[in-house]
Amino acid sequence: MYLQYPLLWASLVAPVLASLLASGRTSAEARPAAYIVAATLLVPAAVAGYYLATGAVGEGVIDPIVIDLSGAGLGQIALAIDGLSAPVVLGVSLITAIVAVYSLKYMEVRMREMAEEGEEPPGFRTYFFLYSLFAASMLGIAYSINFISFYIFLEISLISSFLLILYYGYGDRRRIALLYFVWTHIGGAAMLAGALAYGFAADTFNAAVVEAGRLVYVTFEEALGSVALAAGILLVVGMLVKMAVVGVHMWLPYAHAEAPTPVSALLSPNLVGLGAYGLARFALSFFPGVLEDLAPLLLGLAVATIIYGGLVALQQNDFKRLLAYSSVSQMGYLLLGLATLTAYGVAGAMLFYLSHAIGKAILFMVAGVFIAELGGLRAINRMGGLAKAYPAMAAASLIGFLHLAGIPPSFGFWGELMIVLGAASNPGVDSLSRLAVVSASLIVAFTVTAAYSFITMRRIFFGPPTRQPGLEVMDEFKATVVTVAVLGIFLFVAAGPLFSAAQASVEAMVSAYLG
Amino acid sequence: MVAGELEVIEAPLLPWSLSWLAPYIASAVMAVMWLYGLRTSRLYGLLAVAGILVSALVSTAIAFRVFGEGVAVHVGADAAWIPWLGVGLGSFFDGLSTVMALIVSWVSLFIAVYSLKYMEGDPGYARYFFMFSFFVGSMMLLVVADNLVLMFIGWEGTGIASYALIGHWYTDEEEYWVGRPGRRALGTPMYFEPSHSAVRAILFTRVGDIGLLIGIAALYLYAGTFSIPRLAATVEGWMASLAADGILAPLMLVLTLGAFAKSAQFPFHEWLVTAMTGPTPVSALIHAATMVKAGVFLVLRLTPILLAGYAALGGVVAQDLQLYFSVVAWVSVVTALLLSIMALVADELKLILAYSTASQLGYMMLAAAAAGLAAVSGVLAPLEAAGEGVVAGLSHLASHAVFKAALFLAAGWLIHVAHSRFIDSMGGYARFMKLTALSFWLAGLSLAGIPPLSGFFTKEAVIEVAFTASTALGVLAAATAAFTAAYIVRAAVRVFHLPPYEEAGHREEPHEAPPLMLVPYLALSLAALAMGIGYTQLFELLGFAAGLTLAAEAVSVYFALKPLTLAVLGAAAGSALAVALLYMVVRLDFRRLIAENRVAAAIHGFLYDRMYVNPVIYIVVLGGGGWVARSILELDLTIDYAYHAALVAAAAAAAFALRALSRGRTDYIIALYVVGLAAALAYALIAARSYILELLS
Repeated sequence: MYLQYPLLWASLVAPVLASLLASGRTSAEARPAAYIVAATLLVPAAVAGYYLATGAVGEGVIDPIVIDLSGAGLGQIALAIDGLSAPVVLGVSLITAIVAVYSLKYMEVRMREMAEEGEEPPGFRTYFFLYSLFAASMLGIAYSINFISFYIFLEISLISSFLLILYYGYGDRRRIALLYFVWTHIGGAAMLAGALAYGFAADTFNAAVVEAGRLVYVTFEEALGSVALAAGILLVVGMLVKMAVVGVHMWLPYAHAEAPTPVSALLSPNLVGLGAYGLARFALSFFPGVLEDLAPLLLGLAVATIIYGGLVALQQNDFKRLLAYSSVSQMGYLLLGLATLTAYGVAGAMLFYLSHAIGKAILFMVAGVFIAELGGLRAINRMGGLAKAYPAMAAASLIGFLHLAGIPPSFGFWGELMIVLGAASNPGVDSLSRLAVVSASLIVAFTVTAAYSFITMRRIFFGPPTRQPGLEVMDEFKATVVTVAVLGIFLFVAAGPLFSAAQASVEAMVSAYLG
Repeated sequence: MVAGELEVIEAPLLPWSLSWLAPYIASAVMAVMWLYGLRTSRLYGLLAVAGILVSALVSTAIAFRVFGEGVAVHVGADAAWIPWLGVGLGSFFDGLSTVMALIVSWVSLFIAVYSLKYMEGDPGYARYFFMFSFFVGSMMLLVVADNLVLMFIGWEGTGIASYALIGHWYTDEEEYWVGRPGRRALGTPMYFEPSHSAVRAILFTRVGDIGLLIGIAALYLYAGTFSIPRLAATVEGWMASLAADGILAPLMLVLTLGAFAKSAQFPFHEWLVTAMTGPTPVSALIHAATMVKAGVFLVLRLTPILLAGYAALGGVVAQDLQLYFSVVAWVSVVTALLLSIMALVADELKLILAYSTASQLGYMMLAAAAAGLAAVSGVLAPLEAAGEGVVAGLSHLASHAVFKAALFLAAGWLIHVAHSRFIDSMGGYARFMKLTALSFWLAGLSLAGIPPLSGFFTKEAVIEVAFTASTALGVLAAATAAFTAAYIVRAAVRVFHLPPYEEAGHREEPHEAPPLMLVPYLALSLAALAMGIGYTQLFELLGFAAGLTLAAEAVSVYFALKPLTLAVLGAAAGSALAVALLYMVVRLDFRRLIAENRVAAAIHGFLYDRMYVNPVIYIVVLGGGGWVARSILELDLTIDYAYHAALVAAAAAAAFALRALSRGRTDYIIALYVVGLAAALAYALIAARSYILELLS
């Protein structure tokens, strides 16, 4: 159905305009603007939430402004929310809104710290401008059903996050910002090449088109002929670089660990997962046949990524770097779901996107609390017993890790269940050897995730206390962390509509693309 | 066809779902209170007790309907949650789940009341009762859920709650450890801090949980439903498909991995024996009412359904079921035996009880698996076997819940008095606390299987089923009974009737427990006696319950002191008496024996270090896994170097080399420019020659 007003386009512009209201370098000065930015960022979640409740998302909720460029061979530029993107829209909208408020205290501390080091970082107006540009572009990515708009929004998200790292990052931030920029462009160039090959042959860049107020999923893979394989591989590889699966993951630990923490809390949970969303949205539509050929390879890569990222995470001493490797591992789960090429698995990957968004946002935010309040504390071997000093942060972190490990009552469980269902359907468990391989892979993968989760909980929060009790004062800064945690539990309970929407859209997609 | 025989009536979601929802609601209220800033209040304890009381009362009310009308009650059958998967919020009270719900809720209630006093003044009081309540709610959900997804959510909830409660004293003071500080086996530390034990508990069980989830997912794909009654009703179809694909036994074993891990069957028992680091009532909760009973429940649930499939399909599935039940039976009987032997040498009171639990859980699983074997080998009719297995397993589960809760709660007081967890620091307490001694003896002898206490009859039922299936299983089960009597009598004699070996750090003269703590365990131990005296009614009820259970048939178990019964009775009583005599009359000093005799010391050390299972797991999994992890880290650093140093250096070198072609040579550059320009012009002229020619003409 069409929205009555162009709320989706407006939701991309409003946060950026609101950010211009911010000023100064203290949280007091920037607070009103931050709340307005947060409110505008919540609009997509409200729209998605409302239409999830009414059941309209399954057919696609479409912005009335549709730009028809099919005369130029570009297809139809339209913004929409369907069952595939609803978890992504919710994740981006909710997390960016809450982290906007969280940013106030953190960035005040960061800017002061940089000033003490003799640097002159730009103030809150620049920060919130880039922040909202970043957030809005990720929303744009999620809304896109046309690769052209997807790619433009992707570029905006890269430039804005690149500048955020460059201005406010830690360590050798100029080098790291550049490294991030180059790597993501390698991915971008590859996926663009693949998509252009498709677009010129198919005469459209749309994965879905709007017809009579509904989304119709389309594919013209056969138009490419023998070029499909090469083009498909380019698109897939580009997305995999974006997701940082093992082998092409090396940029992520630098970028996510050294970005200012609120930006880490957007990069890791929201941005990298968009590579998986891009695979589901565009690779599945443009190159379904190629994906079927590549599926065994991708499944193996997924399991390898989960285990690789998890085991490297286990050995990190820097909390943020640990979380960054954990993101690599989590991307393995998303890829696993997608590579099953079943409705269960694809929907599971998107649900896991949302649960990773929640879980990883919580954990990065907690890492940021320690950095801001305990003198830049990031080394895990200098933590321990922090549950005494920070009980609410400990509880929130546990909920965060439950999301990563897929354990109820966190929303993560639903993603886990669907991914397991997907893997049990394809490659399947219908012979002894397949049952053995699938069981062994899943048991090792999930156990590795649980292992680093609970072992990290212990290293940071349990054991003899290293700080005196009662340090935790429940202010706005930490209340935002608790809010995300509560949200994760709420979404676990209220998951039904997300499932129904995903069922409608993803089953339609799978039958349209894969037949 | 099978569920058709069971009359099912429907009941609305509310208020009947309060059986599992009430403790969750209590937890939610506590969470809000805590976030609101109210962190120390007696309200937390009272809320937990209130939630569990509601749960117990609602469960009892449902039980009256189930047993009164002879029906199963399906609560909230049409309450949708995840429509895509057909997952609802319903609960299904048949004979099995109703009895389970009664045991879980009422035993938990006793433990909660005891905790009110025990946890008084603890800095984690609020967190304790929050998790306690969540624990009970999850266990209730697990047993009454009408579909496997909901059951799994409860299952995982018990895992999280046990993790938090085992690690309750997360600051890891030495008094809360389990194991002798400093002791190592094969280089692996054999003492465990609370936060370490908590991680062990969740990770050991996590391995099985994923197996269970894979099993559930596969069942869904084969049967098209998560609903337990539907699965029972359609068993013929999905079992035939599984068997045709050759994965019936393997898949069931993957699924049962969850039960093995949760119910601490060998080698997963390792998590349970170190889970003693939590507050003692938590141990009582984990061992008696919640958590470890989950795996047994799953096997009791599954066995009748599988046997109904066998009844329908016969030979097609016989081989698979033979394999499946054999594996389960042997794993459980080995667990029962080994853990009962290890318990002989343990020197921490709670640790003895922990070994005992893993061992007794083995009995319960054995009951179901042996009944399955008996059916497959044709000794019993399938549905009759299902009934026998359910009755034997469930009866022992019930009696164990009662006497083990009593033992743990009494142990909590004893440890508090001795200010030590080691039995060698305890002694002669019978003089100071007669009622505690009475409770411990009643519960202990019930565990030992001495008539007329409940444990005798229920254990007897298990052993009888084991003998029906196979003599070897029966003999091992009977041997376990002898060891069981020995270890528990040893502990009781040591604690209550002999002078202490080591001077305990008593803060005060030992004295009787305060009423709020004494009454729960005294009542439970008297219940163990009452259940024994009223064993005919108990078995009548359970036999009736079996008839109301999905895919099972009512049975009447009748005890007529057969020779077998007498033999088991003799073994247990004899071993109990022997131990009592050795300690009390002969005054044999086992500690000196071990110190002086190398063989005895070696055996003792082997058992004391739990047959090196833990070091082996650590060396293989942590050592091997650690090696893999370190190698991967090396690889990661190499990849980093390759991309960000080597590749960059190569690019720089290439640029340098190209630049060297022209570096500092302006003439070169001009020459190249001229050549390039000329080539471009020439190309343009050639390309445009026809146009130029046209212009010229």
